[in-house]
Amino acid sequence: MSSARRSYMMRRVLHGAMALFIIATLLFFLFRLGLPDPTAALITEGLSQAEREMVRARFGLDKPLWEQYVIYLVNIVQGDFGFSFHYRAPVADIIWERLGNTMVLMIPAIILAYGVGVPLGAWLSWRRGSRTDTVGVFIGLMFRSAPMFWTGMIAILFFGIFLGWSPTSGMRTLPYEASGFLDKIFTLDFLAHLILPALIVALYYLGSPLLIMRNTMLEVYGEDFIEMARAKGLPERKILYNHAARNALLPVVTQLAVTIGLAAGGQVVVEVVFSWPGLGREILNAVRTSDFPLAQASFLVMAAFVITLNLLVDLLYTMLDPRVSFK
Amino acid sequence: MRVNNTLLSTALVGVSLLGITATPALAQERVPAINLITTTESYDPIRYEAAFMVAERWRELGLDVTVSPTEFSTALERFYDQQDFDAVILGWSGRTDRLDPQFFLNTLDSRQAGLGGNNPGGYENAEYDDLFDQQSMEFNNESRQQIVQQMQDMYKSDIPVVVLFHRDEVVAYNQDAFEGFQVMAGEGLYSEWGPMEAVPLGDRQTLRIGGPQEPDNLNPLDSTSVWGWKWMRLYYDRLVRLSADVEPLPWAAESVTALDETTIEVVLRDGMTFHDGEPVTAADVAFTFNYYLGQSYNYFNSYLAVLDNAEQVDDRTVRFHLSQPSASFGSITLSQLPILPKHLWEGIEDAGALAPSDIPMVGSGPFKFERFDRGEYMSISKFDQHWYADNIAVDGVEFIIYADMEGVYTGLQTGEIDMTAWRMEPGQIGLAEQQSHLNVVSVPDFGYFHMTYNLRRAPFDDRAARRALTRAIDRNRMVDVLLEGRGEVGSSVIAPVNAFWHESFVERFDFDMEAAREELRAAGYSWNSDGHLMR
Repeated sequence: MSSARRSYMMRRVLHGAMALFIIATLLFFLFRLGLPDPTAALITEGLSQAEREMVRARFGLDKPLWEQYVIYLVNIVQGDFGFSFHYRAPVADIIWERLGNTMVLMIPAIILAYGVGVPLGAWLSWRRGSRTDTVGVFIGLMFRSAPMFWTGMIAILFFGIFLGWSPTSGMRTLPYEASGFLDKIFTLDFLAHLILPALIVALYYLGSPLLIMRNTMLEVYGEDFIEMARAKGLPERKILYNHAARNALLPVVTQLAVTIGLAAGGQVVVEVVFSWPGLGREILNAVRTSDFPLAQASFLVMAAFVITLNLLVDLLYTMLDPRVSFK
Repeated sequence: MRVNNTLLSTALVGVSLLGITATPALAQERVPAINLITTTESYDPIRYEAAFMVAERWRELGLDVTVSPTEFSTALERFYDQQDFDAVILGWSGRTDRLDPQFFLNTLDSRQAGLGGNNPGGYENAEYDDLFDQQSMEFNNESRQQIVQQMQDMYKSDIPVVVLFHRDEVVAYNQDAFEGFQVMAGEGLYSEWGPMEAVPLGDRQTLRIGGPQEPDNLNPLDSTSVWGWKWMRLYYDRLVRLSADVEPLPWAAESVTALDETTIEVVLRDGMTFHDGEPVTAADVAFTFNYYLGQSYNYFNSYLAVLDNAEQVDDRTVRFHLSQPSASFGSITLSQLPILPKHLWEGIEDAGALAPSDIPMVGSGPFKFERFDRGEYMSISKFDQHWYADNIAVDGVEFIIYADMEGVYTGLQTGEIDMTAWRMEPGQIGLAEQQSHLNVVSVPDFGYFHMTYNLRRAPFDDRAARRALTRAIDRNRMVDVLLEGRGEVGSSVIAPVNAFWHESFVERFDFDMEAAREELRAAGYSWNSDGHLMR
């Protein structure tokens, strides 16, 4: 078992690395072919052609494409994401900071969505066909379908401006000096800034765990072991949460992993509406300014997240469901 | 369409080779289709709509017009780098240093017509180029004014570019919190004077500005954005500052004197210090200018093109040696370059490679640098030892960076910020006017939105066609409908608000479809039975 697991792991890690290499290559060419020259915007500042050539040379864009590509790959392998064209700062510093900001928004939102969505879905499945079920499913679908810029703006308008209960933008009240990241997020002020955007994201995410849980539960109810549990005379609540729910968790876990993986990219819309300084907003800016190093690295980090989490989920499966084996 | 025309002209060539002569009227062919490039609706709805207004009228004249909304950087690339366009709607922003006529006049100089140059339309007029050189070397303002106005007259009748309109910048501030702002053309409230003039009315003594734009970086040798310099100029002093009426005022300089045509002597004000306590001397000034010259690239390259070197004469005197006389050196160059502390920069070989944390943020300006949290916030505090400090009422300035104008307006509404750094969205103006604590201010701009014709391509290679098509543009309607009246129809690349240099007696090309048709007819154009314009 253990050696099977090890070789399985090795294989998966290798696949992941290959996927990352392909993604890195695609990103490199995609941005260079798809985005305009990063120095194009400098014209509006009145730069002459000769001056732009100097800037291009400084960015390394005067080298042949294959040479740029090789430099790029070698740097990535060494963990060097390069220097941002626009900010003139190391890309890694920018990304880690922004990724942190995004995660402190997304993780609570996801925990909230799944913490509420999963038991709620299970409960709705138990009350299937009733009015509660209809209303519950409707609400889940409604928030899933409502665009977040709209729900976000309504929330800002109502709670921020009309009631004045909540800050409307950013992640802290400025001016504020934090000595480090933890110092920045372990404050009541941060919590106050977090509530609205996190709630909006959580409401949006709520629909998936709720519906997936509800539907998987309905399938599980038909299984023999549920019949068996009933025959043993177990209370309905125990059947629901101890027997049925545990067996319905698998698809939810997959969905959760995908959600967390994609969360690295943030929710651009929410980050813009709430002026949250996260990675999503940064990616948008990077594409806008044709900041190749920053855009490449951001997407690569997102890809790495998704791949790693998929790997973790597959491992988790073997623990949640003994029927899954390493073959 | 173009294929058809090529086929047609090939056929015609074939016909004439066979010796069959067609009558002149039959030899006319359809005027080529026009592809009009503009911005996407999401980038700028105004330019987008303007293009459709133009296209509608040109179609009435019998032209085949396609509007191509193009992503902004791509549009810039096609216009400047590839010159692959028939006609383009783009714009130039009004920046203080462009109040000097040099920059905008240069966009019609034939030496800028190459790929990547500032004259992508390709206007070529040797006489205009001569006058350009003359004005750039003319120290006497009255004589220079005459040349500048003559140049505007000269290009205007050839109409290589249509200045569509100047859009007012509509900004707002919280009048319960601050007063005393003087607006500046092209700069609005967020001019270099704004923070120095603001007087707090409430408890908070710190002025809070909000905007969606942030500096690319705060490296004085590396920043290439106007938003970087709008902020840095508050904590780096300059030898000269331009007043709100754009008059050059000696600032860190006590005097600026032209010793001869190519030597300018600056005597520094006595007793200035940097924020780290070191004195500001002529050595620092000479070092700064020479340091900029020595870097491979910087934002001020074009201003420094005429400078050979800067020489320290004594502790307070610097001499600038120019390679040729330059009218704008004393006003523009000296008012744009910061003064850097020599003792902190002289050891830095390649300033472009500095990591943000290694940049010495020490200047000698009226404010000193405090903090920059990218994407969130920047702050500066008043520098009490500055000679102008007693005239400054605020104790500092904070700039809150929002993701978009929606966030900025919300901040203005809730009192989180005191003023907007940039123009409000059209929809917000009406809302702001209803708020009792907000004062909405309209500031005329000298930047402009233009339609540039590609003079290398038909029909724009023909002066008469350009003149006629320009007369078919209803620019009043653009201002009334698209700008809701907040702007002015353009008449010259030098805006009316730039009164000293603007020539008001240029040909205006007012909207008149009949006159447009008449001009085409007179130049030998005709219309076929389907109403298509033929040449």
